[in-house]
Amino acid sequence: MQTMENTEIEILLVEDNRSDAELTIRALTKGKIANNIVHLQNGALAIDFLYGQNEYTDRNIDKKPKIILLDLKMPKVDGLEVLKTIKSHELTRKIPVIILTSSKENPDIEKAYSLGANSYIVKPVEFEGFAKAISELGFYWLLLNQGPH
Amino acid sequence: MVELSGCQFKDLFTQPTKAEEMLHRALTEGNISGISLSFLPEDDKKKKQFICSAFCVANEKSQEKVYVIASPAESEEERFQNILKEIADYKYALDESSIVAITDQKGIITYVNDNFCAISKYQRSELIGNDHRIINSGYHSKEFIRNLWVTIAHGKIWRGELKNRAKDGSYYWVDTTIVPFLNQENKPYKYLAIRSDITSKKVAEENLELSLKETSDYKYALDESSIVAITDQKGNIKYANHNFCKISKFSYEELIGKDHRIINSGHHSKEFIRNLWVTIANGKIWRGELKNKAKDGTYYWVDTTIVPFLDEKGKPYQYVAIRADITQRKLAEEEIIILNEALEKRVKERTEEIESFSYSVSHDLRGPLRAVNGFAKILEEDYSTVIDDEGKRLLAEVQYNAQKMGLLIDDLLAFARLGRQEVKRAPVDMNQLTAMAVREITQTTNHKAQIKIKKLLPVMADYSLLEHVMSNLISNAIKYSSKNENPYVEIRSKRGNQEIIYSVTDNGVGFEMQYSHKLFGVFERLHSAEEFPGTGVGLAIAYRIIKKHKGKIWGESLQEKGQSFIFRCPAHYKKLKCKQWKIQK
Repeated sequence: MQTMENTEIEILLVEDNRSDAELTIRALTKGKIANNIVHLQNGALAIDFLYGQNEYTDRNIDKKPKIILLDLKMPKVDGLEVLKTIKSHELTRKIPVIILTSSKENPDIEKAYSLGANSYIVKPVEFEGFAKAISELGFYWLLLNQGPH
Repeated sequence: MVELSGCQFKDLFTQPTKAEEMLHRALTEGNISGISLSFLPEDDKKKKQFICSAFCVANEKSQEKVYVIASPAESEEERFQNILKEIADYKYALDESSIVAITDQKGIITYVNDNFCAISKYQRSELIGNDHRIINSGYHSKEFIRNLWVTIAHGKIWRGELKNRAKDGSYYWVDTTIVPFLNQENKPYKYLAIRSDITSKKVAEENLELSLKETSDYKYALDESSIVAITDQKGNIKYANHNFCKISKFSYEELIGKDHRIINSGHHSKEFIRNLWVTIANGKIWRGELKNKAKDGTYYWVDTTIVPFLDEKGKPYQYVAIRADITQRKLAEEEIIILNEALEKRVKERTEEIESFSYSVSHDLRGPLRAVNGFAKILEEDYSTVIDDEGKRLLAEVQYNAQKMGLLIDDLLAFARLGRQEVKRAPVDMNQLTAMAVREITQTTNHKAQIKIKKLLPVMADYSLLEHVMSNLISNAIKYSSKNENPYVEIRSKRGNQEIIYSVTDNGVGFEMQYSHKLFGVFERLHSAEEFPGTGVGLAIAYRIIKKHKGKIWGESLQEKGQSFIFRCPAHYKKLKCKQWKIQK
């Protein structure tokens, strides 16, 4: 789903797997949690998008997403790298970043939190659980949780 | 009785001149003795000889008087008798005290005393008339014997120690003096041999010599084989053998008198050295490995034993240090440490490889799985109106299999991870562990089984790994007894031989004993998935864990009455005793 120039971006979804992306977006939209979702397929694009670089030079970078759903294992720029950038950049460090990944390996969890991740969700294997998790997290972070502003 | 006063002294005697001379000499010389005089006989009695002594005494008025004492002298016959008696006494003394034998000039025995018979164990009759060679032992060389004969044949006395043989074949030693008796031509006509028994002395001497030789042999062996140094009680070197000089590269002169600290390397801690001194100063033997420094500054290791020599008060007066060069071994040890470190590094690398592999499995396989499941679900949801029942069933199949695959991946990863895990042993309260496991199972699964935990014995094991095993066995028990009206699970323990045996028994369907060997194989199941869900990895994991604890796990079927899963665990953990190489870094 492409966003229009001036509308609010609710969720920035950084996910390289198109199936996972489709399922995630479906869960969010079907659950009526969010409509304005920007999906980017890798970390490099995410960086460009957030800081108005390269093909996103013309984007208004003050239009920040409300939350960022970030996958970890991605080609080019790794998820943890993106996390580090987001959390160290004045512009973006207050945005809640929810790591959404299939890895439940301990080192990743530790690393993510030490870099400032706000939440770490392991994608459930079966779809039902997955859909439930997405809608729950979406509900929590967009509706229940009081974001910064 | 003759009236003597008023007579002239000299007139009393047959030799008056001699008598008067005696008086005169007494006056001039003071005293004189041993003068033989005869009184004039007054009757027919034979004149008796007297031995006279005279001495002169002056009184206070310087008047001189001569006193004469006359003692009767022996007669010739008496003298002769006395001489004979004296000789007899001498002979008696000799016979009693010594071993005596007399031979003629050819060596034939003409007389032996009782002592001779006693020591040679021959009867007198067996000796007299026989050649003295009868008691030869054959011990002495021909030369020795010839020398003896030559000596006495020339009329000289021979003295020496002889080993003789008694009648019963036993040997005895005698200190011997052979005196030749010479005739008028100065040729021996008779030999008198006077002996004393020195057998015990000789035996003692022989033993001492053997002892000394043995000691000397030991010392030689020690000196040749080991590095030896002797210090006094203050630690100054009194002696160092050739090997010591060789290894320390000091010459003997450079070592003698010096404090042994000359070879200190400074490697050992002050405490270590102090402990050494305290031990040996208290008279105890110290054993250990020491690093010493040679003259040229190079180091060498020695396996050292220091033995204190104690005086009669029990205080050390010298220390003997016996060492063996173990420098090579120490170097090998160090090499092993380095090799081990390299190995550890390799193992770590390998483990990391496996871990990253597991991670890939974990991440990469799950993704597509989720997609399969997800899209099947979407199909089901969004296209339910256009899919018939059969289509819906097929979709369900797809989802079911995807889910199953997910479980398999999880179980396999658990299997790999747990198999690699190190067993950390600590005392485990099995009651607490089992209660926790049961509580967790009860919370996560819906079951109506009655679970009874009997009082369980504690064991030395890895808590988390054993928890896994218990959890698995209990959930299995619950699962397989779920079809029963009143499912019942009991957990017990009992003490075995140096081990604890735990059992989890249920009253479920049981399994056929003939397939019991398959129970623990990965993915092996003895019931179909329709009957009881599961991947078949749980028991394989339990098996691996128990094996790592050096225990054993097995199943016993009670046929329709149920089944028991039993595992036993060594009660105590014995640390492997590797060679105690003291690695001092």
